[in-house]
Amino acid sequence: MAIKRIKHWVLAASVLVLTGCASTQGPENPADPWEGMNRGTYAFNDAVDRAVFRPVAELYAFVTPRPLRTCIRNAYLNLGEIWSMINSNLQQRHVEAINTTGRFLLNTTMGLGGCIDVASMQGLPRVKNDFGVTLGVWGVPQGPYLVLPLLGSSSVRDGVGTGVDFVGNQLDTIGLIPNVRLRNSLWGLEVVVRREALLTVSETVDRTALDPYSFIRDAYLQSRTALVSGGLDAQELPDYEDYEDVQADERALGITQETNE
Amino acid sequence: MINFAYEVKPATQSWSRNALRLLACLTLCMVATMAIAKPNPKDEPPKFVQDVANGLLVVLKGDPEVKQQNMVRINEIVEQFIMPYVDFERTTRLAAAKYWRQATPEQQQALADAFKNTLVRTYSGALTKIDNSTTMEILPFRGEADAKDVVVRSSVVQSANTQPIRVDYRLRLEPEGWRIYDINVENVWLIQNYRNQFSQEINRSGIDGLIAALNERNSQN
Repeated sequence: MAIKRIKHWVLAASVLVLTGCASTQGPENPADPWEGMNRGTYAFNDAVDRAVFRPVAELYAFVTPRPLRTCIRNAYLNLGEIWSMINSNLQQRHVEAINTTGRFLLNTTMGLGGCIDVASMQGLPRVKNDFGVTLGVWGVPQGPYLVLPLLGSSSVRDGVGTGVDFVGNQLDTIGLIPNVRLRNSLWGLEVVVRREALLTVSETVDRTALDPYSFIRDAYLQSRTALVSGGLDAQELPDYEDYEDVQADERALGITQETNE
Repeated sequence: MINFAYEVKPATQSWSRNALRLLACLTLCMVATMAIAKPNPKDEPPKFVQDVANGLLVVLKGDPEVKQQNMVRINEIVEQFIMPYVDFERTTRLAAAKYWRQATPEQQQALADAFKNTLVRTYSGALTKIDNSTTMEILPFRGEADAKDVVVRSSVVQSANTQPIRVDYRLRLEPEGWRIYDINVENVWLIQNYRNQFSQEINRSGIDGLIAALNERNSQN
């Protein structure tokens, strides 16, 4: 009797576990073959974010007036322009490199150390760039989507890129500061500042995404593809096959339509 | 004679006052008509989008209830100033892709409504951040003259000294004129970003499941 009952429980439990697996898997996304592992890392990151990074960023936003936050954020972005310009050159996008150099010079001087983004006001918007994009321009494929611990959305290619970025970015800016304490404080502040800039984004995702994981993944992959192809303007528009149009065409051509998926 | 002189003086005064009033009224009227220049879908796409955006900005800047994220008011504004210029059925249809055909007309309607509410929530956060320093600049138009599917590019500065945000609109020429059906914020097209989520949810729990999931999200706050 007892064994029979245990058997039943095991069976019931395994059915539960199996259906549980089935419901999280679904059809595989070719861009994300490691979805199971990625979702694990994502859940971990999300938990750490909610416990540590987000509250700290919110506190920072609460105690710092907005103009000052904008100023600090701009100053960090301005420091990043040097590495960005090097990457534009590596990608043979020399016009972009000149644009970025101009931005850096203008904002560092007229913009008081990058605090005021004078260049954007003059119609020279920032070009986002990093070594992952450079690798992409050189023809390295994106590779599987990869969620990095603490760093978040990436891919095999962009993960390598991030490693190089970290070195490259520090060699020409904050990393040059000999005072260890000051250097580490500036790095720490940078993390807070970056997270703060994303607060509204994460709120929106929380409020509206059906599945935050795939929402963030798809947004990341779309945006990376656009950056590699040289921005939105260089990119082809998404071709949404409109099934209504297909139907209308078929009707017009007189092909009777049996509903297939 | 004295009487006459007395009569004249106030008359000139009131004339100049009236003239002033008239001028003030004219300027006000002009500002008002500029503000409420109703977007015309038969215009060139950049002008059409600019008019839609201007109408929206004027309303948002002057509305304290939007700042307090009053969803009833935000929904009203969306219905009045955005929806007439959007082909929302098309947006939903393209996001649902091949599953659209499997849905009954009632399901299609319910899906479009639920999706619309989700998007209003998506953008309501951004709408509350609009202040007097918010500007939108339409970038040079690159569409071909006879194209039926075009993109209008714009650059939005949400508040002073912040990084400009690139926002593009995709429009399609329909019998009644241009209508917006997709939007791109910082390199991410809306429809494309909802396609996987939709198919994922439909595969798991069917079209009704997707509608329910969207509605459930919408009722949370």
